[in-house]
Amino acid sequence: MTDVSLVHLGRAFGNKWAVRDLNLEIASGEMVALLGPSGCGKTTTLRMITGLARPTTGDVLFNGSSVVDVATERREAVLIFQQHLLFPTMTVAQNVGFGLKMAGMGKGEINRRVEEMLERVELSGFGTRKAHQLSGGQQQRVALARGLVTHPKVLLLDEPLANLDANLRITMRHLIRSIQRDLGITAIFVTHDQEEAVMLADRIALMFDGTLQQVGRPDEFYRHPRTAGIASFFRSQNFLPGTRHGDVVSTGAGDLAVGHNVAATGDGPVVVTARPETLELSNRPGGENNLPATVTSAIYMGTHTQVFVQLADTTWTVHAPPSVTLNTGDQVFVELPKEHIWILEDDSAAQDGR
Amino acid sequence: MTSTPTPGPAPGPDQAVSERLLPERRQINWLRWATVTIIVVSVVLPGVSLLLRSFAFRWHYPDVVPGEWGLDAWTYTIDDTSRVFESLGNSLRIALLTTTLALLVGMPAARALGQHQFRGKRIVEWILMMPIIVPALVAAMGIHIVFIRLGLTATVLGVSLVHLIPATPYFVLVMSSVFANYSPALEETARTLGANKIRVFRYVTLPAISSGLLVACLFTFLISWSQYVTTVLIGSGILITLPMVLFPFLGQGNAAVAASITLIFVAPAVMVLILTSRSLGRGSTVMGGFGKV
Amino acid sequence: MTLERRQTPLRERLKIPLMLTPAMAVILLLFLGGLVAGLMQSLGYFPAAGLTEFTFRHYVDAVTDRNFLVSLWTTFRIAFSVTLLSTVFAVGAALVLRQRFPGSRLATFLFQIPLPVPHLVAASAVILLFAQSGLLSRIGAALGLINAPGDFPAILYDNASIGVMLSFMWKEIPFVGLVVLAILQSVGPQYEELAQTLGATKRQRLVHVLLPLIMPGVVSTWIIVFAFTFANFEIPLLLGQSFPTTLPVQAFREFQRPELTSRPKGMAIAIVLAVITVLLLIAYRRLARYSRST
Repeated sequence: MTDVSLVHLGRAFGNKWAVRDLNLEIASGEMVALLGPSGCGKTTTLRMITGLARPTTGDVLFNGSSVVDVATERREAVLIFQQHLLFPTMTVAQNVGFGLKMAGMGKGEINRRVEEMLERVELSGFGTRKAHQLSGGQQQRVALARGLVTHPKVLLLDEPLANLDANLRITMRHLIRSIQRDLGITAIFVTHDQEEAVMLADRIALMFDGTLQQVGRPDEFYRHPRTAGIASFFRSQNFLPGTRHGDVVSTGAGDLAVGHNVAATGDGPVVVTARPETLELSNRPGGENNLPATVTSAIYMGTHTQVFVQLADTTWTVHAPPSVTLNTGDQVFVELPKEHIWILEDDSAAQDGR
Repeated sequence: MTSTPTPGPAPGPDQAVSERLLPERRQINWLRWATVTIIVVSVVLPGVSLLLRSFAFRWHYPDVVPGEWGLDAWTYTIDDTSRVFESLGNSLRIALLTTTLALLVGMPAARALGQHQFRGKRIVEWILMMPIIVPALVAAMGIHIVFIRLGLTATVLGVSLVHLIPATPYFVLVMSSVFANYSPALEETARTLGANKIRVFRYVTLPAISSGLLVACLFTFLISWSQYVTTVLIGSGILITLPMVLFPFLGQGNAAVAASITLIFVAPAVMVLILTSRSLGRGSTVMGGFGKV
Repeated sequence: MTLERRQTPLRERLKIPLMLTPAMAVILLLFLGGLVAGLMQSLGYFPAAGLTEFTFRHYVDAVTDRNFLVSLWTTFRIAFSVTLLSTVFAVGAALVLRQRFPGSRLATFLFQIPLPVPHLVAASAVILLFAQSGLLSRIGAALGLINAPGDFPAILYDNASIGVMLSFMWKEIPFVGLVVLAILQSVGPQYEELAQTLGATKRQRLVHVLLPLIMPGVVSTWIIVFAFTFANFEIPLLLGQSFPTTLPVQAFREFQRPELTSRPKGMAIAIVLAVITVLLLIAYRRLARYSRST
């Protein structure tokens, strides 16, 4: 059982920070996703946890004690790479047993544990094969078995599913999750795919540009993103800039009453957002938060009709019932229910930076 | 609950930061030091000693630097009696002809081996690569009598033909790995866009393989340039090349003349190295090819 | 109804054979032809010298010559030592040069220099440096380590062929080293990093990860270097002692005698030389196939 703390963790290359002042607590047995676009510093963070990269600032703690001066090979933090990287000169069993052999374990014990682990990843009987005789999914399972057979303190996965096709990804996801839970291993995985992070992780730590943006349960990123940048990373498309005065936000399309769903602190420039499925269209004014808009296009999607409307000078997406037929240029009103809209900090300046 | 990290003012690496700055681990890497020192010494020292020797007039033991300097060795070297110029011309002619012939016979084969799968490919590779392992000298000795009868001994063509024995395999080896790394799909695309075969070669194939081709040609040139015993044999001692002029000086001749001829002899190699250092260096496919023989 | 198959045009079917013909012709006619002609001469069929009777006499002559076994041993000893030492130094150098450090690019460039340089140049440099009155001896004297040229170890024209081996190694270490470097760079650091997270120490990573990865390439160059050193003529002639010499030198000496009748004996030695290298090649192929299949 190991908990991991990253304290003021940073790594600089020359004058550029790859990771900057990162603070994160990972509980024992928890699975955390480090999420972010490529080049945001998530892999560097992972490498600092394993010891393959040395932090410029801060500390990595396992169970409260610093490990930055512990060599990678003694840290018991296993890294599983995106490319499965099976040793090409070894059989599957030799690959899986590698870590045990390095630890000086006896042959009989190695064989027993390897067999047990291969069974766990549903590869019994594959022990004598060579890496190139396996499919991509099988290779990734061998890599997983190789990483877990030594019962490491921490399991680190660098884009583990990126090289697999869609179906394999789903089965691998289940496999990784179930083994990690069974063994109670603390796990951190890196991904650029927000769906993967949402489905696999207990918590998500989102990074942009070397800096941690938001940490929380997956649903919080959909319902309560902290900034417009975070919301748009989670595929949100509806953003309307405005200015907040207490409980009212004035926008180019009219004033909006605001509930308690406010990330922004204080008055001033903010961005209003809402998920497309929480919005309603009508053809008459009236009621609270009912703003006039113009239909730019409508696409029948089977379960709903996706309607794009012009709201002030922004384009919003609304999910209307499938029966709705609208034409380009129709004047409509969009209702933004007080309890579903979310007021964000205006971070357009920060977004330009990445 | 959403935790909102507050990064605060971002510290730049050049600024002092309040958190503990970890010192980079610095340790003297003795193996690295020793390796680099040996490399530098083993390359610089021979070069320096050749230069010193060729410009030395008097160099008594145990002086580390010549006592008297002079151009005597060089004067003799460029004089007609040394036959350096004559042999230099022959060496160049033979090496250029060998390279041209290797290019003509080697290109199609390299392409076939690099880009196509066919029955008997392994046997063809075996046969073409055999002169890399089995000494060309033996074949040259065997074929000598045939060359005499055909009047090919002591001719530039005859010597070039024998140089082709070691040169062709290396040319094919390098070029087939160049072709293997080059996708024929580019050519197919050009064909569908209406380019004929000649234009495809001129505008698509050639630019893609040109740097590999240059390396292959330069190395073929150097293989021929460096040949000694096969030239002695087929040249019948009449057609003199540069190494044949150098050889007796290395035995018991004038060391200063030996040094100056050596410097002329090594010049093309140094030029080739400067031209190809990029393609030989890190991540090279050319050198990697030798690992797959 | 049977479908009529369209015939592949002759030109298509002959494409590959035609591409291979010129190079195959060169190797088959000049190389294999030369070997066959040499074989015939070694078996006594040499009309130019008035010999037309097939006989093994020349092989018996060559092999029973008391110089033969000594020369064979000398040749083998030099080739084996050069190959082994070059491989060890080359792998070491490649492991250092693949790292990035200040001056690493320059060091790699310098490391490549001997590769295109002719062997005779290497011999020339070795003479200038290692002769008893050479530069190293002079530096030794300047440092007060030795007093006279005679104090400097005689490593040219010596029994142990150290001068010969130094010349070869000067050329072959960069050759093997650059091949290993190319392999290491195509492999990248990831296998080692992975092994490190799995608990492998520096030594374990070298033994269990790096060496197995570079081994196939090393064995390939090992064969090339061995065969090359085994058959080289000029270096042992120039820097080795005159007796015992190496097989190629012995073969060429017999072959170049004024009387044509001694040629078959020289040819027989040369054929033995070729057969040894062919056996080596076959052994290597077996080894390669064996290591692939397990």
